Amino acid sequence: MSVTISPGAIATVTAFFDAYRVHDVERMVDLCTDNADFHYRPFEIWGRQRVIRGDGKVRTIGKAIWITLIDAFPDLTNQVTYSTADDEGNVAVEVVISGTQAKPFGTFGNLGRHYDLPHVFLFRVNTEGLIEEISAYWDTADWSRQLGRLEVD
Amino acid sequence: MSTIETAEAFAIARAFFAGMDARDVNGIMARVDPHASVTLVPLGLQGDAETVGRQYFEQLASAFPDLQVRVRRLFIGKDKTAVAEITIEGTQARDFFGILNQEKLMDLDQVWFLHASGSVIDQIKAYWCQNRLYRRLGVKRLDRVTITA
Repeated sequence: MSVTISPGAIATVTAFFDAYRVHDVERMVDLCTDNADFHYRPFEIWGRQRVIRGDGKVRTIGKAIWITLIDAFPDLTNQVTYSTADDEGNVAVEVVISGTQAKPFGTFGNLGRHYDLPHVFLFRVNTEGLIEEISAYWDTADWSRQLGRLEVD
Repeated sequence: MSTIETAEAFAIARAFFAGMDARDVNGIMARVDPHASVTLVPLGLQGDAETVGRQYFEQLASAFPDLQVRVRRLFIGKDKTAVAEITIEGTQARDFFGILNQEKLMDLDQVWFLHASGSVIDQIKAYWCQNRLYRRLGVKRLDRVTITA
């Protein structure tokens, strides 16, 4: 599949991953509307009383996850491998996110291991070039294996 | 891409997922070039549609006889790639890619990329969280997928 160009939306999404690559979380958030929705679909932390999911708003859940992730993986980076978009502001991106663990993250104790994990990010970008919705997918089993965790929890 | 090509890509994708929902493997495969490239990222499977694709859909249909497929979002990129967010749900009735049957209910969010060429799909790529599937189906450890105790 070739990379296609849809100037406004693709430019916003490119800027988003550029900011993510240099750990500029404020810039990532500024590229989103104030009320942008956030869905990290695989994100589930099972506690005794409740399940914490990666669903909410960019400015609350999303920002907190990004800051915590960058803190735990200080060399976190990304490489976009494919993108496509329509004329309605929908953008899909395949991106490999990589990093070396320096601190515990969620249920992942720190074994100092490196990971390279394929992700899909889906965006909805408005006519002003701001992201209204982010959804992301990855395989936590693959991530766990790379970080040395074999329990499914 | 013309409006007609976009409409055709929508129709092909909708028919593909309708076939999945109906567990109609031949119906799904009728929309796909037999030599289409299929990549199922979480399973680490890559190959042509007639082998890898058919194997996946046959196991899915067989393991989850009450399978339901809900398309939550669908758009067509300018490169004729349909991008779909779907949720599949079902109760396990047979082993599925090494996961022993414990008759558990699963729900799984997935993303599918279906690239259309003419009236058929010539590239397929899918992503989901295999860890979530393991959790739903009662797998306890990644190194013991086929063991339940």
